[in-house]
Amino acid sequence: MKIPILQLGRILLVSIQVDLTDTDAMQFQNDLVNKIAATEALGVAIDITALDVVDSFMARLISDTASMARLLGAEVVICGIQPYVAMTLVEMGRDLIGADCAFNLEQALKILNGLIALRGDSTLNSGDDDGRSYPF
Amino acid sequence: MTVKPFSPIDNLLAQHRAEIGQEWVSDVMALWGRHYPGLVSEDEVRQQTSRLLDELASAFAGHSGVTPPQIASDGALAASARELSMRRAKAGFKPADTAQYVLSLKNVLTGRLIRELSEVPADLATCLAAVDDVLDRLSLLTFEAYVEAREKVIAQQSVSLMELSTPVIRLWEQVLMLPLIGVIDTLRARQFTESLLEAITRYEASVTIIDVTGVPVFDTSVAQHLMKTVDAAQLLGTRIIMTGISPEGAQTLTKLGISFSKVTSRATLRAGVAEALQMIGRRVVVVSGAGK
Amino acid sequence: MMDALIPSRRVTITDSSDIVRARGAARSLATDIGFGLADQTRLATAVSELARNVVQYAGSGSCEIIDASVADEMRIRIVVEDSGPGIPDIDLAMQDGYSTGGSLGAGLPGTRRLMESFAIESAPGQTRVTIGLARQRHHQERR
Repeated sequence: MKIPILQLGRILLVSIQVDLTDTDAMQFQNDLVNKIAATEALGVAIDITALDVVDSFMARLISDTASMARLLGAEVVICGIQPYVAMTLVEMGRDLIGADCAFNLEQALKILNGLIALRGDSTLNSGDDDGRSYPF
Repeated sequence: MTVKPFSPIDNLLAQHRAEIGQEWVSDVMALWGRHYPGLVSEDEVRQQTSRLLDELASAFAGHSGVTPPQIASDGALAASARELSMRRAKAGFKPADTAQYVLSLKNVLTGRLIRELSEVPADLATCLAAVDDVLDRLSLLTFEAYVEAREKVIAQQSVSLMELSTPVIRLWEQVLMLPLIGVIDTLRARQFTESLLEAITRYEASVTIIDVTGVPVFDTSVAQHLMKTVDAAQLLGTRIIMTGISPEGAQTLTKLGISFSKVTSRATLRAGVAEALQMIGRRVVVVSGAGK
Repeated sequence: MMDALIPSRRVTITDSSDIVRARGAARSLATDIGFGLADQTRLATAVSELARNVVQYAGSGSCEIIDASVADEMRIRIVVEDSGPGIPDIDLAMQDGYSTGGSLGAGLPGTRRLMESFAIESAPGQTRVTIGLARQRHHQERR
């Protein structure tokens, strides 16, 4: 099942609503990193409001996705972690998510915009017509 | 009476050396002239073949015994063959064309022996075997020398390429840029790290942009080299901005569990430059009235 | 007076969709026994962890969810079994940060931390993980 990625200016929004299989997870990460690169996104908000259970696999998935996004220069905020999910995450181990968190999407966007405003490249236009070419 | 089963070869080389040499030269020039027009002079080839033939003749002349003469690796024959090979290698000849040089002589000698000894098949067989033996070994020798010389050339070229391909660029007063291109191995990593550290010191650079757009493969070893470079630079007080990681690179690095702490990462070089400028308190603005 | 135990639930695990079903079954039995939301989430998460291991490392297995309550204490026991290749070094797998294929990482040690009881036996051809939670009943009606 493909997870839709929405674009809001220079920010991308994704909402993970179901448990993902290994294949879905890889597909999702692949789609997202390519979209971040293509749009030169400055921020990514990952909304997991709909997840009532986050086990270590999903935690790792979210954490890895955040790392990949950061390597591509995007600020990342996770939002919508349910209270009991937060509890189990903490009980299972430390820093399983590894990214900034916000209460809900609105807060997440506020935080992202704040982080973006501090950046040196926030006023650059994104993408030329020739786009970014990776020789490989 | 001493046994000299190879005396036909000896005689051939003694009496018909000039003709053999001429035949050999034309064959070689036909081949090389076609593949490498203008690269070889006939005079040069004539000189070399003449010398080789002289040495080959002495090898057979002084030799008695049932096995063919050895080619001493420190002898004159071997030395000539090597020198010839190295010249070809430096000139950029293909391996097969170099090997062909000795094989041409084999053809010439074989042809003549067959004509001479057609009535004496046993002697012919012995002599052909000897020619095969000696010239095959000579051929191998020339090939070895060729390969050695080629490898030296390639090594020299890659040193120059290495120096060319990782310059440290001074982008702005306190901003350096290190564009990395191609394969990153231990040697290169050491080289560009040294250059970078020298430059940081010389220019008191407070920001360094490391651009990896040109790095095709991001694996553990590349990442480790980079981390060392980053760590060393940070010890000198410079802040690191890494630019040009591709989507694939981002996935690979993350799956390998590699993260560059305290490094600002940006997808494009220009985003990295903007970031660097901000770090030194500068900004690019439109100047009113400018532009032609 | 103690009510009869709630019948066990059993879920066969063969693919990813079964992970969700196993979670659901655990959550629903836990609810029926009377566990609160926090414990339900703990149980669902632990089951998710174990069921995922089955799918990823064994291919197929089963999950049994058992009401083991007594008069003054709610108890739930869950057994996840498979006949896969097994975990070669359990001690290693139970250390924090150990990871094969990226998924077993926080898995087992994390699960143990969520549960009151945790037992694992593993040999090639048979792996069984038994987890359990127990809570004092408060003086309220069982749902």
